[in-house]
Amino acid sequence: MVTIGIPNGLFYYEYSSMWKEFFEKLGLHVLISQDTNKRTMDTGVKYCNNETCLPVKIFHGHVASLKDKADYIFIPRYHSTSKDEYTCPQICGLPDMTAANLGCKHKILEAKINMDVHPEETKESLIEMAKTLKIRPSKVIEAFYEVYDKYLQSKTEENITDLKRVDVNKGKLLLLGHPYMIYDNYLSMRLIEKLKKRNIEVFTPKDFTHEIKRKNAYPFQGKKFWNIGFELLGSAFTSVKDKKVKGIIYLSPFACGLDAFIMEFIELRIKAKCRNVPMLKLTVDEHTGEGGFDTRLEAFIDMIGV
Amino acid sequence: MKITFPHMGNMYVPIKVLLDTVGIKYVIPPLNTKETIELGVINSPEFACLPFKAILGDLVYGLKNGADFILFGGGSGQCRFGYYGDLLSEIIKNLNYDVKFVCLETTNITINGVLKKISPLTKDKSAFGLVKAILFAVKTVFLVDKLNRIAAYTRCREIKKGETDKIISKFHSKVQKHYGYSEIKSIIKSTKKQLRAISVDRKLKPLKIGIVGEIYIASHPSTNFEIEQKLGNMGVEVHNHLGISKWIFNHFIRNNLPIKKKDKFLSAGREFVNTDDIGGHGIQTVGASIFCARKKYDGVIQIYPFTCMPEIIAQSILSEVQKKYNIPIMTLIVDELTGEEGYKTRLEAFVDMLEMRKSKAYNQLYIDI
Repeated sequence: MVTIGIPNGLFYYEYSSMWKEFFEKLGLHVLISQDTNKRTMDTGVKYCNNETCLPVKIFHGHVASLKDKADYIFIPRYHSTSKDEYTCPQICGLPDMTAANLGCKHKILEAKINMDVHPEETKESLIEMAKTLKIRPSKVIEAFYEVYDKYLQSKTEENITDLKRVDVNKGKLLLLGHPYMIYDNYLSMRLIEKLKKRNIEVFTPKDFTHEIKRKNAYPFQGKKFWNIGFELLGSAFTSVKDKKVKGIIYLSPFACGLDAFIMEFIELRIKAKCRNVPMLKLTVDEHTGEGGFDTRLEAFIDMIGV
Repeated sequence: MKITFPHMGNMYVPIKVLLDTVGIKYVIPPLNTKETIELGVINSPEFACLPFKAILGDLVYGLKNGADFILFGGGSGQCRFGYYGDLLSEIIKNLNYDVKFVCLETTNITINGVLKKISPLTKDKSAFGLVKAILFAVKTVFLVDKLNRIAAYTRCREIKKGETDKIISKFHSKVQKHYGYSEIKSIIKSTKKQLRAISVDRKLKPLKIGIVGEIYIASHPSTNFEIEQKLGNMGVEVHNHLGISKWIFNHFIRNNLPIKKKDKFLSAGREFVNTDDIGGHGIQTVGASIFCARKKYDGVIQIYPFTCMPEIIAQSILSEVQKKYNIPIMTLIVDELTGEEGYKTRLEAFVDMLEMRKSKAYNQLYIDI
């Protein structure tokens, strides 16, 4: 039986169930790499050049761990996720980059997702994938649209947490960052867990509806922007309206190009228009020590007094 | 109304011609970015790329010196360049200057929309004058580009070193003092004559190096530490694949042609990249390097600003190109803190290596070992 390896990084945090189901529907065996650990990071760092951002380095570590175990490694090429929403260049060039760095071009399966300008590319790439896997193309396309529709539905039906749901005594904090930063326990050094332990209610971009995020994503309402940009701008400007939100923590990998811009948009707007919500920027790279990280976090929490 | 604009290589010459012809007042920031970059750095996010900081620095300098109108293009896609306009306008708004910031949407451009947006500048100007000015400006772009190409040819071959640089720097100081298309055209003409008069060693077969990478850094001498001059004076013929004229041709002329022809660098780069667009000029960088290898250049230098995302992907892929096409490629990354001496040392080492590689004696030695 053919084994498909899915690296447990980057896109996986948003689309994990979708792709797993897709390959299982095709009757293939799916192997997902382990959660990020020190070894994943060290191997990833070894394969990448210096300038690459940490999540991409870690992604290389995941791919390297699957290289010998799986027959194919699945890396989707997210170009634009839906209308007017684009992705980071490094995510868009991910299949080529991993192929060049790890030298396993023949093993990589890719599906192109380019919903804004060329939605037809998805079909073309799926047909190509079907050829490599020796499965009937119509079956692959059918399976894809089935899981994709299911994904879209789950996105709109998400049980959105109401900002007011929590009990009044708990302090509230907004945690911003790419999903593969804040939900990766190794990369974020269990940040969410640490905050919850201190009896703080943590909100992440997942807790707001898609429409409300798009509506509040100043100054890009109705314009083209990065998908993560809509998420972060939208949730930041939505949550600052709630007086109970005491502060914002922004977790970002070192030298992230997108975060540099998005963070500046948030900071400028909050300073100018909204009440002055304190914001902590935490930057991590492969050399970050947990001690220093915790100290900064503690100091911030003490300062805002949640 | 007084307009200001950022520098990008020799772009200021055609823009000057354009504004002179229409009759709009303007402030030109100093050509040397080192004087204005500080203004950009203190007002930009830490990890913004160097072009952003340089552009912001130029604009703030302009505003400090009396400008009150800025025209900038906004865009879309993956590369941060598409969102420069939005962030610049936010930052400048927060600096409390009395300025009108007009951001043109380049994604769905209509002539009427553009004219409406720039109407404060052009309301008492004739349409004929505008068209004439645009034509003059486009012509100037290509004239200045030609000048650069001649300079690249003479610089590495000149017998008395430093002559080309002297003429070029005189050209820049003259252009800034003169006014209007006819005057600037005559300066270009006389400079061309002077360049052609330089005595050169025509038999010399210099090393050939191609420059690829991020377009702003590669084409703006004061952010790339005059890489073309430095290499030229080491006796290397430099081919910069990122001229402004090419960019204008691709974006404004080719896009409006009825026949769509694919960019040759893009199609060459497709060998390693399985898509048409990864943002910025990432694929073109790969394609241009392959092109250089096929044309038997001696080496390639990729240059890009720190944190430039498309070029990071290109850099990973270039190691493959290097192996497959057997061409040495060096990557230089610059930001506002890059030291010039270290940078120069790397260039010298690279050129030395290429020279050794080229000489047959080295090959012989290699076999002996």
